[in-house]
Amino acid sequence: MCRNGFWFVMLCIALLIFSCSPLFSGESVSSPELPPGPMQAKANTACSECHDTGIIVQQRLNKASWTKEVDKMVRWGAVVDPKDHDALIDYLTANFGPAKPDYEAPRTRREKPKK
Amino acid sequence: MVATSAVHPLLAWSSTEAVPVPEKDGLILRSFRFLDLEMPAEYFNSWITPVPHFFVRNHMHEPSTLDPVAWRLNIGGEVERPITLSLDELRKFESHNVTNTLECAGNGRAFQKPHVPGVQWQRGAVGTARFAGPRMRDVLMRAAVKGSGKHVMFRGLDEVPGKVPPFIRSIPIEKAMDEDTLIATQMNGAALTRHHGFPARALVPGWIGAASCKWLTEIKVLDKEFEGNFMNPGYRLPNRPVQPGEVVKPEDTHPLTALNVKSVIAAPSDGATLKPHTVLVQGAAWAGEADIVRVEVSTDSGATWQTTQMGSEQSRFAWRLWSYQWKPLKSGDYVIMSRATDNQGRTQSATAAWNPSGYLYNAIDQVKVHVS
Repeated sequence: MCRNGFWFVMLCIALLIFSCSPLFSGESVSSPELPPGPMQAKANTACSECHDTGIIVQQRLNKASWTKEVDKMVRWGAVVDPKDHDALIDYLTANFGPAKPDYEAPRTRREKPKK
Repeated sequence: MVATSAVHPLLAWSSTEAVPVPEKDGLILRSFRFLDLEMPAEYFNSWITPVPHFFVRNHMHEPSTLDPVAWRLNIGGEVERPITLSLDELRKFESHNVTNTLECAGNGRAFQKPHVPGVQWQRGAVGTARFAGPRMRDVLMRAAVKGSGKHVMFRGLDEVPGKVPPFIRSIPIEKAMDEDTLIATQMNGAALTRHHGFPARALVPGWIGAASCKWLTEIKVLDKEFEGNFMNPGYRLPNRPVQPGEVVKPEDTHPLTALNVKSVIAAPSDGATLKPHTVLVQGAAWAGEADIVRVEVSTDSGATWQTTQMGSEQSRFAWRLWSYQWKPLKSGDYVIMSRATDNQGRTQSATAAWNPSGYLYNAIDQVKVHVS
């Protein structure tokens, strides 16, 4: 009984890990890593709730445009502590400003739909 | 470096690795969540775009469940008889076919200078498919639109995260009642796939892709234009030409409707090295509700232009393929350009009109090649 219980718990843990996997959820996969910086973690948390980081890393915006975007996203539910607001905009402008080289996006390959 | 979440570092992808996406092959991944996929320029060589190569533009999460048996389409608002249709009931309406070039309003946004926010589409947020399904006017006529009905709103089943406004837009009643505006259930002879709006989508031919709501579940006739984020401030153009970078007030804008005149070069590819033999320059050109009458090619950076051969396949709202046999006379670097003209007298120019969201970009297309 005890042995069965152990394997039941192990199975639950395995299922939990697998179900959190992007491959299982259908969100398999691709989210570019944000560059290191004081706001890296907070940008990940605030932005990735709704969308992956791919849409961020392809932008080449000046500070005024990043400010407008961040403020729009806050209105749309992104959680940004007011004390982080300016630093987050500076981080995005520094890493994804107009002078940065173009982002090279990956290609897709066909994956059979899940039955 | 492209990685998955920190929980699964072993599942990381590099930007050189292809990302698996159901049904979609060789497309450029602009965004995974929400899914935005662009067709590479080399796929512009087919009059009908195969579904695996057809671009995807999602504003929200795709519906988590799509049960064709449980699915219903509600038609209400300014109508005498609100109705609800199942998929089987929708299929009993006479089906109509429309071959349509569907283009995202933001296609080409990446070329705008200064840069503007949004998905950084280059050339391929566009494709041509044979759509089929009931005419929207037949369904609206069964519901009997009141005289007060001036606009028609579409709601899809896409799922909205956070406090993001739902992706709801409307079109004028005249366009909804056009004989070619459909409630499409088929694409290229098969049922719509999940990424393209299964089981039914609006198909508003010649207009920006955002008008053709996917996963359609509600059609509501309104006495005025729908008021929501994706009608205002989204998907609008300035009423007058503006300087690049200029701030434009919402009240100085109007909603986007039909597509621009535009051409794209499919081959040779940008940066190609060519042998000094005959080179086939080819591509596609489209003009929304208008007809392409001419596509010209320049192989000398725009100094002179030659008329191209137009493909034989054509349909009212579909792009035309074009080609030109070019014989480079000597080795060197060349800039090849394409320029389309439509029957409304619109011609592509060297620069596109800048606007704050980078909509309807249609500057002359160009690729740089080296002949050696």
